[in-house]
Amino acid sequence: MTALWRIVVLWRPQAGWLLAGVAVSLAALAAALLLMAQSGQMVAAAALGAGLAAPLVLRGLGLARIVLRYGERMATHDALFRALAALRVWFFRGLAVRAAGGLGFRRAGDVLSRLVGDIEALDILYIRIVVPLAGALVLLPVLVWWIARSNVWLALVVGVLFALAAFALPLLAARASWRQGGRIAGAFAALRIACLDTLTGLREVRAFGAEGRMLAIVQGREAGLLAAQHEVAGRAALAGAAAFLAGQAALLAVLVALLFQGDAALAGIAFLVVAAFEAAAVLPRVAAAAGHAAQAAGRVLELADAPMPATHTTSVMPSGSAIRFDSVHFAWSPDRPAVFDGLTLDIPQGSRVALLGPSGSGKSTLAALLLKVAHPGAGRILLGGSDIAALDDSAVRARCAWLGQATHLFRDTIRANLLLGAPPGTAVTDDRLWAALAAARIDEVVRALPDGLDGWVGEGGQGFSGGQGRRLALARALLSDAPVLILDEPCAGLDATTEREFHLALNEAAAGRTVVLIAHRLVGVERLDRIWRLSGGRAVAAAG
Amino acid sequence: MRAARREAGPAVALGLLAAMAGIGQAICAALALQAALSGAAPRAALWPLVVFAGLALLRAGLGVLMERVAFDTGAAARRRLRSAALGRILAAGPAMLRRHHSAELASVVVDRVEALEGLFARWIPAAILAVLGPALVLLVVLWVDPVAAAVLAGAGLLVPAAMALSGLGAAAAAHRQLAAMTRLQARFVDRVRGIATIVLDGHAEAEARALGRSADELRRRTMRVLAMAFLSSAALDGALAVAIVVLALRYVAALAGGTLEMPGHALMVLLLVPEFFAPLRGFAAAYQDRSHAGPAAEALAALPEPPLAPPALPVRNVAARGVAIAFEDVRFTWDAARGPALDGLSFRVPAGETLILSGPSGAGKSTVLEILLGFVRPDSGRVTLNGADIATLVPSAQARLVGWIGQRPVLFAGTIRDNIRFARPEASDAEVEDAAHFARLDSVAAILPQGLDTPVGEGGYGLSGGQAQRVAIARAFLKNAPLLLLDEPTAHLDPATEAEVLDGLKRLAIGRTVVLASHAAAAHVFAGRRLDLRDGRAAPARGVA
Repeated sequence: MTALWRIVVLWRPQAGWLLAGVAVSLAALAAALLLMAQSGQMVAAAALGAGLAAPLVLRGLGLARIVLRYGERMATHDALFRALAALRVWFFRGLAVRAAGGLGFRRAGDVLSRLVGDIEALDILYIRIVVPLAGALVLLPVLVWWIARSNVWLALVVGVLFALAAFALPLLAARASWRQGGRIAGAFAALRIACLDTLTGLREVRAFGAEGRMLAIVQGREAGLLAAQHEVAGRAALAGAAAFLAGQAALLAVLVALLFQGDAALAGIAFLVVAAFEAAAVLPRVAAAAGHAAQAAGRVLELADAPMPATHTTSVMPSGSAIRFDSVHFAWSPDRPAVFDGLTLDIPQGSRVALLGPSGSGKSTLAALLLKVAHPGAGRILLGGSDIAALDDSAVRARCAWLGQATHLFRDTIRANLLLGAPPGTAVTDDRLWAALAAARIDEVVRALPDGLDGWVGEGGQGFSGGQGRRLALARALLSDAPVLILDEPCAGLDATTEREFHLALNEAAAGRTVVLIAHRLVGVERLDRIWRLSGGRAVAAAG
Repeated sequence: MRAARREAGPAVALGLLAAMAGIGQAICAALALQAALSGAAPRAALWPLVVFAGLALLRAGLGVLMERVAFDTGAAARRRLRSAALGRILAAGPAMLRRHHSAELASVVVDRVEALEGLFARWIPAAILAVLGPALVLLVVLWVDPVAAAVLAGAGLLVPAAMALSGLGAAAAAHRQLAAMTRLQARFVDRVRGIATIVLDGHAEAEARALGRSADELRRRTMRVLAMAFLSSAALDGALAVAIVVLALRYVAALAGGTLEMPGHALMVLLLVPEFFAPLRGFAAAYQDRSHAGPAAEALAALPEPPLAPPALPVRNVAARGVAIAFEDVRFTWDAARGPALDGLSFRVPAGETLILSGPSGAGKSTVLEILLGFVRPDSGRVTLNGADIATLVPSAQARLVGWIGQRPVLFAGTIRDNIRFARPEASDAEVEDAAHFARLDSVAAILPQGLDTPVGEGGYGLSGGQAQRVAIARAFLKNAPLLLLDEPTAHLDPATEAEVLDGLKRLAIGRTVVLASHAAAAHVFAGRRLDLRDGRAAPARGVA
């Protein structure tokens, strides 16, 4: 439950909207209760031959009830969506800070489910828990005071029953559903992952004739979800029935009291009790789903709020861009073999070096270390003479443009994809975009598109061949002003002719920058100052 | 729809029983109130209270039962629809991915089907009860006070009228809202996949703000839907308030004027007002279920019809001798704006031989393979396997013939072992380990903490590009199909690994027909005919390598 509380704390900037929603809701509740109590009491009083209450009040209350209920629904929902939107953005930011190295073992489907599903599961937190709970808290003393004016004992009985329906039953239901461990959220994520896996891997599924199997997996996950939902629905039904019975018992108590006391005010109270328990009836049912919300909150927090290594960094830019690896030791995790074991490497400013090595020799790890995606276990990495451990991530990355094997083409226009390469907030002319495209030898393809720069790139670069996608990514990297260009297997998937052309273009386009070319082999046309070979966790000079 | 109504039968019957119990309770309460107000002995009013309590217990039980039934109905409907939706996408195959983001499709299968839950579980029973429940109450009131019955009926009719009016707008708005929701999801999955690129380019803040803007857009659209939807709830509140105020004023005036001889009747009618509106309230709550269901049902209906299964013809000589392939004047266009991918291509590969497709990227190599894989059908021309037109093959039969290694294998959530076994789920552990050994995966597994049982995550984290490719090679080995399609299988491997893998592929190719798309010079180690593709056509032949 602490997770739920932390989410509430995160909503502090939206507190104004949220509190306004609660206030309107309380006003609407007051109008509804007064309307019922007034009309009941009026009829009873008239039956006893007592005087007339003002019908004007009754009409006003009727109108106020309608308007306030509408206002309540709009105000609470708007506040809720504001809070949920803020939560989404907070989540993305948290993920961005922690996930520069890619998603690791977390599946994109799972993350999606967290964002959309889990954050939406939190909507019951405000509208269906906080708001009615605030109403019930205000209602209980008012109800007891109102009834106590006629009959103290009755007030006590109704008060206890109301507390049972509004507080005790919800608490019991919430604890039971908490114990159940948020199976729904887990089952939902599992179903989504199975679907996304099947659909992303549709080619593999078809090629291996696995349609029936994947369908069976999805159906299995769905069965898990339905079973979890069934349990929660059953519990909610029981909690709802118990709250209904508490309300009926209270009404019965009022009727019995009325039999002995014959007071017209008590007739009004009978109507009031009906309305009050109706307002509280939502709580036990919702509480049965609160475990789900609490788990969702926990999962949202777990991902976006994981602890970060404490760093003391400065945003001061290093003076130059010479790179030096100084006895660097690194392993991705303690139980896996070390990738680097005393790596020492010098890359002078403005030089062009190649790092060669077989797959698994740590070529990409080197890029990860340089970009501060991973941190060396021992040793130092210097950029322009400063230890990058002491520099801001953003300062390091502003100096190093990266084109990796995993460089992603977004489902967006070509222009938007290219602009990701430019420093944030800079205006880039179309001429510069075209120049970058020309340098990457992809301008003709883009020019041939009906929409040119506003042409659309499909999922994972679809609509473009593998080679064309790589060249688009290169154009993006070339747009950056960074003095260091890290190219991690830039030609994977390119044909020999295109690869040759790519390197010839690179020789021109990257003039004056430091170029770190990471590859498993060279074509022969690269203009290089130095070639290093990675093996056994160290770098060995190959040729110059 | 008619079947759905029949399925709702038990829920409706239970609902009617509960409504009758409610009426009974109102009568009992009114009798007790009347007795109390007329100063009768408490004992005289005892039996209505006992009946009242009994009926309360009955109603509570009926409520629980009704919710059980409703859940089961909704669950059965979701099971049916979800399997149908996924089945359709699977039947349409990978060509779907060119037009739709996989997250978009996943959202249809997961969320849109989920959005239909309320339609079956609540809307249909509630719609029937919204007519029968109030009618039942109205009959009782008519018997007591015809004027009050007229007032109630009038107020009741206000509700569906207002709902229909606001519902028209709500349906259109709900449509836009679901579109915004799907866009937000697709955008988010795409951004999360490429989060490394975003972060390393320093655009995380800009993207977070863009995400905030789309979430805000979603909020505004949702509020527009709700503003309409809440109007129908307001109409209901209004009708209830009007009924209570009008009836209360009527009875007060009648009592004061002495024209009402039975004050108990007045109390009973007032107590019946909430009972009258309860089914309508349930109907209004379920109305949102319905407006959500409309667009969701449309998205499901928009999925392609499963293609008619062609008559299953036996493929001749499918044994280990391999499969003969022939392309005859094949044309295919992905996107008219980018010109044809294949433009009258013809070639032949005899059984057991190897064809090497070369040519610059975009020349049509991948399209040839996708046709052979059955992902797409040629626009014109004929493709035959052992003389049988592939248009007459059922997809599963074609899939059985073909082994495939693509450029970027997709690794599914699970262990390396699961991913290899994906090729042939009935394979024994020994066979899987054989395949791993064949693809040189055992040396990779040896240094992993859990060996072949090491889990792999999104995009195969923990495995390098070369290692992921070896998993794909192990899959192809395990599948043991007579036709082997290789789409630049060594593009990501270093020369040493490439040589090893090529060696393995050569052994795998023995006795099989192989089509290899590659521009890597190393592909020359494959002995076979070369076909140089240029702009979807065969370039002048350069002979046998």
